[in-house]
Amino acid sequence: MKNSISQIKKALIEKKISVGELYDEYLAKAKSGNNNSFNLVIDRENNISSINDSQNRYNNGNPLPLDGIPLGIKDLFCTKGIRTTASSKILSNFIPNYESFVTQQLLNDGSIFIGKNNCDEFAMGSSNETSYFGPVINPWKNKNSQNDNLVPGGSSGGSAAAVAEGSCVASMGTDTGGSIRQPASLCGIVGLKPTFGSCSRWGIVAFASSLDQAGPLTNCVEDAAYVLNSINKHDFNDSTSSNHQREDYLVDINNNFEKKIKIGIPSDYLEDVSDDILNQIDNTKKALSKHGIEFVDVKFKTTEYALSTYYILAPAEASSNLARYDGIRYGVREDGESLDDIYLNSRTKGFGDEVTRRILIGAYVLSAGYYDAYYRQAQKVRRLIKNDFQRILNEVDFILTPTTPNEAFKIGDKLDPISMYKNDIYTVPTSLAGLPGISIPSGLSKNGLPLGVQFIGNYFEEKSLLQLAALAEKELSFNE
Amino acid sequence: MSDIDIKRISYLAKLKLPSEKEEFYSNSLKDIIKWVDNLKKVDTSKTEPLHNVTEKTVSIRNDEVSKSNSVDDVLSNAPERAQNFFKVPKVVE
Repeated sequence: MKNSISQIKKALIEKKISVGELYDEYLAKAKSGNNNSFNLVIDRENNISSINDSQNRYNNGNPLPLDGIPLGIKDLFCTKGIRTTASSKILSNFIPNYESFVTQQLLNDGSIFIGKNNCDEFAMGSSNETSYFGPVINPWKNKNSQNDNLVPGGSSGGSAAAVAEGSCVASMGTDTGGSIRQPASLCGIVGLKPTFGSCSRWGIVAFASSLDQAGPLTNCVEDAAYVLNSINKHDFNDSTSSNHQREDYLVDINNNFEKKIKIGIPSDYLEDVSDDILNQIDNTKKALSKHGIEFVDVKFKTTEYALSTYYILAPAEASSNLARYDGIRYGVREDGESLDDIYLNSRTKGFGDEVTRRILIGAYVLSAGYYDAYYRQAQKVRRLIKNDFQRILNEVDFILTPTTPNEAFKIGDKLDPISMYKNDIYTVPTSLAGLPGISIPSGLSKNGLPLGVQFIGNYFEEKSLLQLAALAEKELSFNE
Repeated sequence: MSDIDIKRISYLAKLKLPSEKEEFYSNSLKDIIKWVDNLKKVDTSKTEPLHNVTEKTVSIRNDEVSKSNSVDDVLSNAPERAQNFFKVPKVVE
């Protein structure tokens, strides 16, 4: 078992380890780079003042909530003075001169960044194979084919692999259609996507602005609450940031529910799934039933439209957001005789295949003559999907689904885009509805690979969602 | 579904696809557009489009002057600069 944030803090308080020793331990693992989970590792000398400040706070008996905790940061968050690439060639030389809101909160709470985690290019992918810096390797191996390198999932694949391999205590990821939950599931760790509007998008390289949300990838549910406490705050720089009162997510996390809890399982999600996946749901159901939690069958009316809706809206927003990469103000410029040639050459050579494909889909569905039929229609169906979730969440407190339709697959296995997109079948609907979802490890497949289940809660009710996840985690925990 | 004019779409997206890749992207786009075509059968005649999923009132901050981003900050990542400007090839003849 890996150490949790509270265990590490206890060791730091009791002087069993120093902040510097802790940092060095994780840094050495990050530097070994066996799984390509980091695009950039931050050397000790560049963090020395943070390490010393943190140690002083421990010495003075007043440590901050995340003091000295070594974190990985998905290479999609702008970090001041530290190269931020979105795993794209076009941003491969970009050094932000400001800090994203979320990473600033983590620094304010004393955490120390180990480095920038590899991810799919501009967070577009479900296997971390679209990164300009090469694929990330899942630390887990299929026990029946030990030599095969497996994908960690994506797009926060480097974050998930880094937490699983133990090169950072937790990592910050982003989730647009499943990019935190799906890799967490495939790497056997916890991944939380908070409600849209919880954590500010300011300073995160934009993919699809109506869907992007930051969240933690961690070893345990309690660690996710630690990180969420730090990052879940209102921010005027993000116009969709909600200004509701936030709760303390650690308080009560290990308590039992005071009221009777009812969880819905959408039977349409479980048609045609493998026994491996069905087992996860059955085991979770059995484990939680012991605690008096009731399970009921629920039926969605919109599931078959979720992926289509997503693959119109997300590329449309992406094609608009990525219009800013023109080789003029920042990023890599390719030569050209005219201004227009610079735009064309910089973009064409700067973006990889998957990003190019999504920009093209976006440009198509937004173009004259197709806008109403595709983009506007998808926005309308999105409302129907949201309404569908609200109807179900009026009947039950939470929804339980698998996180992914399969275990981690071999690098290079899925070549056509649509079969890759189908990886997010269970996570995309929640994203479209803007609801919070958490994936926790639930068991191993027949091949000995980790699988996860997803709990979905109501808007801004992360507190009870984490409480439920912590309860399930105690029952379902397995050793590697 | 009408045929996809890949040249027009890439022009709109400011991309210059190499000719050997035009067919690859064109076929890929056709497959995906065909796949998402099932949305057309959904009756949305009485449904409003959804833009912001939480539909919370956007919070308005006070209009106070704050200092951020010096000229040097803004130009620090410029591929080419001349004094306080981004430098590009001559645009007007």
